[in-house]
Amino acid sequence: MLAPLLIPLGCGRGQKSAQKVVDLYIETDGDFIAFKTDTLTCPTGALVRLTFHHAGRLVTVRHNWLLTRADQLEALSKDFAANDGVVARDDPRVITATPLCDKGESVMVQFTAPSPGDYPFLCSTHPEDMRGILHVTK
Amino acid sequence: MKPVRIAALTTIGLALVMASTVAAQLKSPDDVKTGLRLLMQVSNDFKRQITAKNFARVPREFKEYTESADAVRTAVKDEPAAFKAKVESSLKAAVAAYQKVSDMSSTTPDADKLMAEHAKAVTVMNALFNLFPPELRPDPNAPAGLRGAPKN
Repeated sequence: MLAPLLIPLGCGRGQKSAQKVVDLYIETDGDFIAFKTDTLTCPTGALVRLTFHHAGRLVTVRHNWLLTRADQLEALSKDFAANDGVVARDDPRVITATPLCDKGESVMVQFTAPSPGDYPFLCSTHPEDMRGILHVTK
Repeated sequence: MKPVRIAALTTIGLALVMASTVAAQLKSPDDVKTGLRLLMQVSNDFKRQITAKNFARVPREFKEYTESADAVRTAVKDEPAAFKAKVESSLKAAVAAYQKVSDMSSTTPDADKLMAEHAKAVTVMNALFNLFPPELRPDPNAPAGLRGAPKN
């Protein structure tokens, strides 16, 4: 009965802090155009904190990590191939993405894991070669 | 068997033995393998950009190619001078061949002509690969992310 009064006062915060936090890590296969580990797993609804490390040291090429939906993968890849991997902020096909990063750098992205299923991830600058799957479990 | 044929076979045999000896004595085989694989990787990216008619991006691929060539140079820096000289000569030829493709992408943005020039560059690069033992050469048939990766 008090809930309508308590939530505006901030007492609903407890629900948000109960969200499970999952830390994921992925990197490039050194200077090669591949992710080192091409599968990741997290439970649905979890707050995912993903760190992406560009493990290259020889060649100046930028990479990122971008999550999309299976039915959008090919169209998105085609667009990235044509536009130099530029990720539009408001592209509805993109669930989340890290910024592009240079060799030796790490970047992070935080997002809530979507509904259960397999979600492809890729690098927007190498959309055909750098791919993997995020398994979102129940 | 005619003496000339015997001499030719002996020469080929000696060359193969010398090549395998050099290979067996390479001081940084993993670095060599990485460098060669990077050259192949970038070469494939050249092709991809040309096929997609992204001509403006070809010079950037060339920059990556020169960096990959530097990786090979670094990988053989402690090798005998004679072998290093051969590698350097082949590397220069390969870099020059890819520079031609890069230059043409600005002056002659024609996919067919660029692909033809790229094919020539690949031949020059393969001559470089042939200086190294087969187990260190990139595998052109491997999936993109795994080209040149260990087969086990």
